[in-house]
Formats: sequence, C-alpha cells, structure tokens
Amino acid sequence: MANAPESNKVNEEADLLARVGAGDRDAFREIYTRYSSPLFSLGIRLVGNFGECEELLQDTFVKIWRNAASFDSRKSRPFTWAVTILRRTCIDHLRKRRIRPISAALPEDLLAESSVAGNGRRAAEAHEDSERLKGALAGVAPNQREALELALFSGMTQSEIAQRLEQPVGTIKSWIRRGLLGLRSTLNETAS
Amino acid sequence: MNSQIEELACLYVLDQLGEAERASVEVRLTHDAELATAVRAAESALEDQVLALPRHEPSPVVSMRIEAEIEKLSPSETRASLFSTIARWGIAAAIAASVGTLAYLNLNPSKGSYQPHMVLVGLDSANSTLADLPMVQEPKDADASFIQLASLAQHYWKKPEELPVKLAPSGGGSGYALFDEASNQGYIAIRRLPAPEDGQRYHLWLLDTATGNVREAGILPAADSSRGLYFFSVEPGVPIRSDRLNFFVTAEDGSQGVPAQPRGKVVLGDRRI
Repeated sequence: MANAPESNKVNEEADLLARVGAGDRDAFREIYTRYSSPLFSLGIRLVGNFGECEELLQDTFVKIWRNAASFDSRKSRPFTWAVTILRRTCIDHLRKRRIRPISAALPEDLLAESSVAGNGRRAAEAHEDSERLKGALAGVAPNQREALELALFSGMTQSEIAQRLEQPVGTIKSWIRRGLLGLRSTLNETAS
Repeated sequence: MNSQIEELACLYVLDQLGEAERASVEVRLTHDAELATAVRAAESALEDQVLALPRHEPSPVVSMRIEAEIEKLSPSETRASLFSTIARWGIAAAIAASVGTLAYLNLNPSKGSYQPHMVLVGLDSANSTLADLPMVQEPKDADASFIQLASLAQHYWKKPEELPVKLAPSGGGSGYALFDEASNQGYIAIRRLPAPEDGQRYHLWLLDTATGNVREAGILPAADSSRGLYFFSVEPGVPIRSDRLNFFVTAEDGSQGVPAQPRGKVVLGDRRI
C-alpha cells in the first residue's frame, strides 16, 4: 500500500503528465528532470551501451510527450508508465538488432562509470542505492531472482524464460511474483 | 492477498501479458479494488528496483535533442528552450566531460542550390587539413545549429577513425577543430598534446588563408590531461569563406596577456593550409 508521501508524489506526477498531454512544456521539463536519470539507468541495464541508450531515452521522452494525453492513472502510476515505454523501446531495439543480454549481470565498466556520473552527493546516493539493491537481491531466492531479472531486463516472455530455466510457465509466474514482491519487502527492511 | 491476483498484477506491471490479457486487466482495474491494490504494490516494487539500480546520467545534449524533436511535432507552439536557464557554456562544458555517443549526422549532401555545412580542420604537429562537411538540412535556429555542432563534435571524438581528414601518426599532438561559421562557434579536440611549459598557454587561432588575417579563438584550458574536447566561440568579424578557413594552436607567453597576433611556436596545425 502506498504511504502518504508516495501517494502525493504519484498524484503530483499524474497532474504533470496531464499537463504534458495538454502541451505544457514546463511540465514536460519537470518530468524529464525527475525521470531521465532513473530511466537512463534502466536503459543502460537493458542495452548496456551509453550511446544507444541516449538515443533510446530520447525516443522514450518523445513518446511520453506524444502519449501523455492518453495516460490513465487508473491503469498505472506515472513512473511505471514511463518505465514501460522505455522497456518496450529498448526491447524493440534489441530485437531489431537480434541482440539480447544473456546474463543479467551488470558489466563492471558500467558500474565504474556510475561512480563518476553526476555530482559527488548524487554518486554517493547512487552507490548507496546500488549496495542496497545488491543486499536485497542477496535476500531473494536465486531462482526467483533469476526469473525476475530475466523478466525485467532481458525482454524475454514468460514462455521464453520458462524454456530458458527449464521450468513450467506456472512456476515462472510464481517465481516472478515472489521475486518482485520479496525484493520489495527486503528493500523496505533494509531502508527502515 | 490472493496469490493469483498478485501474480497477475506482477506480470501486468512487468509488461509480461499479451495484448488481450493486458486489456482485460486494464478494464478490471477500473472496478476491481483487490487487483488495483495488487498492481499498486507491484508497481512500488518495480519502481524500488529501478530506483536502486546504479545511477547514470544522460548527457545534457539529450534534453536538447528531445526538445528539437518535439518542436518538430508541434510547430505551432511557442518555442521555449528546454533548459534555457542553463548557460550555453555550461552545456558545452558538460558535453566536453561526457562520454556518451550522440546521434550520427548523415553527411551526405542533399540536392538544392544551398548546402548548409560545417568546416572541420584536422590538426597534427605538422599540418592543418581542411574538410567541408555538408549537412542534410539547414538548422532551423541557433539551438538546432548548436545541437548539430555538438553532436558532430562528439561523434568524431568517440570515433576519430571516421574523421574525414587524415592526421599524421607523429609523436606530437593531434586533434581537430569543428567550426560553424554561421554561429562563429566550434569545438576543438586535442589528443596527446604535451602540457604547456611553465608560464606558457596554448592559444587557438582562426586564420583567413587568403588575407592572412588572424583572430584569437580562445585559450585551451590547462589541464593535467593531454586530451579533451572543448567548446569555443569567435568574436564576429569579417566573414571568412569556408574554403579559406584554418585553425592552429600556438604556445604563447602567459605573462603577456592575450596577444593580438600569434607570436609563439605553433604546436598544433600549420599556419598554411
């Protein structure tokens, strides 16, 4: 369940998207300011290349601009909606290139570059988040973690993941659920 | 909570459902409170995971390219710079520090009487080599022109093997100056340039090879690193025909202020072309 500050943030961003849908550039700038870094970070995780990722981020924000008017807060939260647009853009790109990450592991050079991105405080926060994620991932069962990472970062369908992990689709669905919700619990525990 | 509902919510949020199933969930979300709650929980989990990823920042040019793109989509809207509050120098400095690859600009000439272009001068320890870079279309305004210039500069910075000029593989420094004569702005890239001697500074000069007139285009930042990509601008003056442009770098005595004419040793490029 969303807490009050989280809920306020969601409502605020939904309002911003409504304004973007009406052609408000200031609202679009605000959305860019809030979302560009996390979306870019996710894009890097998906495609593993800074240059390509910048182009895909550009495509994503142009889609956000074009489709903001159709955003429906009953169907998703604003940030999740933006994440879906980015993931689809990146996955389409990878499919066209016929390249798909085999491993969900993050290349070391990207981890290294993250330490120089942005200012010192932000880099420190990012490092802290990264460490928190690593810690949380360690608390999730390996099979659930792998299923979740493949679902989130590889662009594979449930059937493809099932084939890859040699498990029935039903098991994969269950692992994804436990991985995602279990990860949230662990992240919340480490944050509190 | 019902685990099947949770499962459906997770697959929906992770975009793992087919179109029909996704549409069905979206209809249910308008009246099924339990499913809506499960979706919100899955969204929170997904967002936590995304926000906990190692953080990376896109280069500032991305936002400018987005603005240029949405400008094309809505030509009737009043143009407002996306980051107009950021000084252009600030943007340029950030670009210089960025390692991101920018969009490749198609350099094939287009048909028509007027061909917008930029000038690139390859610089090595012995020569300057001029190349004219035709652009596909004329930038519609100063921002678009700047984006094009910055994109091209970074493209060659990332892929020097694609430079349209050959640089001598000597032991000295090398680089290139990319210049937009319409805006009097440019970028200079240097590699393996030895640090200036004590008391000296490296000055960049713009030369009209037909008249011999020279204009100072800036002082290269003294840095420990012998490489970098730097933005520069030249005070507007008598226009120089693009086929007569040249750039070179000299080492000047830093105690004498900014010299009106180059007096020091040429360290990059050549005063002739």
